[in-house]
Amino acid sequence: MIWILVAVVVIALAVLVIVARKPRQEPGVASFRRHIDALSPEARREVMDRVRPPDSNQQEGQGN
Amino acid sequence: MARDLAIDLGTANTLVYMKGRGIVLNEPSVIALNRQTGEVLATGREAWQMIGRTPGYIVAVRPLRGGAITDFEITERMIRLLLQRVGVSRFTRPKVVICVPSAITEVERRAVTDAARRAGAADAQLIEQPMAAAIGADLPIDEPVGNMVIDIGGGTSETAVISLGGVVALEAVRVGSFDIDAAIQAYVRREHGIAIGERTAEEVKMAIGSAAPTDDESQAEVRGRDLMTGLPKTVVLTPEEIRFAIEDVVSSIIASVVRCLAKAPPELAQDFLVRGMYLVGGGGLLRGLAPRIERETQVPVKMSNMPLEAVVMGAGHCIEHYDALKTMFMGARRP
Repeated sequence: MIWILVAVVVIALAVLVIVARKPRQEPGVASFRRHIDALSPEARREVMDRVRPPDSNQQEGQGN
Repeated sequence: MARDLAIDLGTANTLVYMKGRGIVLNEPSVIALNRQTGEVLATGREAWQMIGRTPGYIVAVRPLRGGAITDFEITERMIRLLLQRVGVSRFTRPKVVICVPSAITEVERRAVTDAARRAGAADAQLIEQPMAAAIGADLPIDEPVGNMVIDIGGGTSETAVISLGGVVALEAVRVGSFDIDAAIQAYVRREHGIAIGERTAEEVKMAIGSAAPTDDESQAEVRGRDLMTGLPKTVVLTPEEIRFAIEDVVSSIIASVVRCLAKAPPELAQDFLVRGMYLVGGGGLLRGLAPRIERETQVPVKMSNMPLEAVVMGAGHCIEHYDALKTMFMGARRP
């Protein structure tokens, strides 16, 4: 029983050490990344598909 | 539960995008009022049909000029009626993102947000039209490359260079397609001695107006009131005449594009030669304008697939990703 407790404590300590050593992302970096990701073509596809008339898919790539 | 909205509150047309639904309203920014009682008689397309054709007690007006509110109370009433038409009530107050020209003053910004809040919005945020247009035109603005967008609206023309989700260079003039209509009206009055209304001038522009000679040119018969006799009169206008009439306005728009190009950093400027500039907005549909800009700037010009809807689509994208993109709103800290 005592060995299980010791193992749990050791694992918990190891996890804490790993988490503490992992470089944290700056809030500015995370915010900027989120901003840029939200402007990606994949993120915009939903709105474009919702508004674009069905027959204009063939023209995709010619202009935009 | 109210669905959040994006509004392109244009001088010519108002478009509304509803979160999760798409564009739910596209109407002229016109309101018709009873001059005596102050009652609203019509809005949108119905009111637009009344322009210049109303009896004395009715007035059909555009409450926005040059992208700015000229009559606060009427604008608020127009926004309230438009929001009611898309399902906003006293109990369902949505968040609203409104597209405005980048050149509007602090006072004009406050007038727009106050009008939206008083018309039923829980929160009103503003986004610059060129940024919304670039998002809506599907340009790769998330990449570190130069994207140039020219948005020619009813009352303003704005050119912006956008890279990595932000505006790098911007140039705006309070000149748009309504100034082209006004120039046609003034020319016909001066050279032919007849008065025509703004709707007729717009029809002339759409029929034979151009910024540069085109292959399919024809003449147009225009009917108006003879200024000398007061009788109805018909004159024939040629495309050359209209080009001459609107030259000052077209030159002013192109000069602002050139100024924006001059402001762009050299690293991005070279991207334009490869990628071109994108034209959006109703004014961009003027025949010969894209080739004329291309000729005068030596940069390829491409027409957006949905030039009239690009701005509201961009704002609609912002309402769909509100938290991630709220730094783009005017007055917010840029990332």
